[in-house]
Amino acid sequence: MIITVEGLHKSFGKLEVLKGIDCEVAEGEVLCVIGPSGSGKSTFLRCLNFLESFREGQVTISGHNLTGAKTNLNAVRRDVGMVFQSFNVFPHMKVIDNIMLAPMKVGKVSRVDAHARGMVLLEKVGLTSKADVYPSTLSGGQMQRVAIARALAMEPTVMLFDEPTSALDPETVGDVLDVMKKLAEEGMTMVVVTHEMGFAREVADRVLFMDAGVIVEEGTPAQIFESPQHVRTQTFLSKLL
Amino acid sequence: MTLYFGDILPYLPVMLKALWVSIYVTLISFAAGGVLGIFIYLAKASRFKALQLFSNGYIEVIRNTPLLVQLYLIYFGLGSIGINFNPLWSVLIGMTLNNSAYTAEIFRAGISAVPKGLREAGTALGMPFHQTFRYVILKPGIRNVLPALTNQFIVLFLFSSIGSVIALDELTSTLQNLNSQTLRTLEIFSVGALLYFLTSAAIAFGSRITERLAFRW
Repeated sequence: MIITVEGLHKSFGKLEVLKGIDCEVAEGEVLCVIGPSGSGKSTFLRCLNFLESFREGQVTISGHNLTGAKTNLNAVRRDVGMVFQSFNVFPHMKVIDNIMLAPMKVGKVSRVDAHARGMVLLEKVGLTSKADVYPSTLSGGQMQRVAIARALAMEPTVMLFDEPTSALDPETVGDVLDVMKKLAEEGMTMVVVTHEMGFAREVADRVLFMDAGVIVEEGTPAQIFESPQHVRTQTFLSKLL
Repeated sequence: MTLYFGDILPYLPVMLKALWVSIYVTLISFAAGGVLGIFIYLAKASRFKALQLFSNGYIEVIRNTPLLVQLYLIYFGLGSIGINFNPLWSVLIGMTLNNSAYTAEIFRAGISAVPKGLREAGTALGMPFHQTFRYVILKPGIRNVLPALTNQFIVLFLFSSIGSVIALDELTSTLQNLNSQTLRTLEIFSVGALLYFLTSAAIAFGSRITERLAFRW
């Protein structure tokens, strides 16, 4: 198992957002996390690379125990790529520099190698022609693909996606989903928090439905979407159709 | 009463020399106050309560007392208990301390206006905080603070005129001297005002050019 989560609890002040999450993800698996707003699914994802700290529970990811006494969180995060809802591309850097930064500063890769790798990744996300422009000239979908390339530049073993298409114009969503689909086909382990049920149905190996800080139900896309067992899952899905 | 600038023309070099004193006093205290301001800001942003308390107190005291009184305290106050600074040092110390409190607040506002997501993206890439700060937060932060810093520089430059109360040979005190020598009061002070104005305008213009060249993204 490349990710193991046991008894994960997380509170913001007095508000308990995660009430005991247990979950495993196998290497090469694509796990989609769905659920209503405020169900804790983004918080759950952010706990996986300790962007959100937690006091109770265990998370092991890519061979690192997040709460271990000797764990170097920066080393963990090098192995775990993350893509955000709001892209968070660095506005003051050209597209290619966005992608080269972490490999050069963290990975100690030479400028030439980082550039070469960056261009390969830009080709992969279909943005070779945008290498030398600033992000402000890009559409949301293009920015998100830059963000994906940037995360991939560290050659992570796991990719986390936090509602990657929620802030996008409808016409650019498809390009981003295509890139993610390609990534999944190449065998990348992915955890995707999403509202794109079409994507979850088509690409996910497993779907996890969260509500009110717990995993209500999990199963294959067919199980979850065709014959959800739990009332809350049924209600949630019926509202989407 | 007619305006006559002929009498004061020979004094223009003296005025320009005094203007230079005003400028370099400002430059030094702006730079020193800026560095000090970074530390005051870092103390305020740190996790340690004691440091936060100290920098908050420092900022509040400085911002809520007149610079003139601060200068009196340093020059006359400390002088009266045997700690003597000459006028130049007194002005430099006063303006540096004063500037540091204001720039600390400018830094705080500018850095906190950098979207939190950028920092998270840096962190998620495995960059330690100092790298995230240097490569991800700093430049957008500086762009945020540049207009306010320029403004602060100009205010500081104009405030340097208080050096005249303790007889530092900067522009204003030179104007006062020339006034008593020539009795061309209106001419002297309007030329002096023009020198202040032109310098400030040049600084503002330079800042806008810098902004356009260094932060085009």
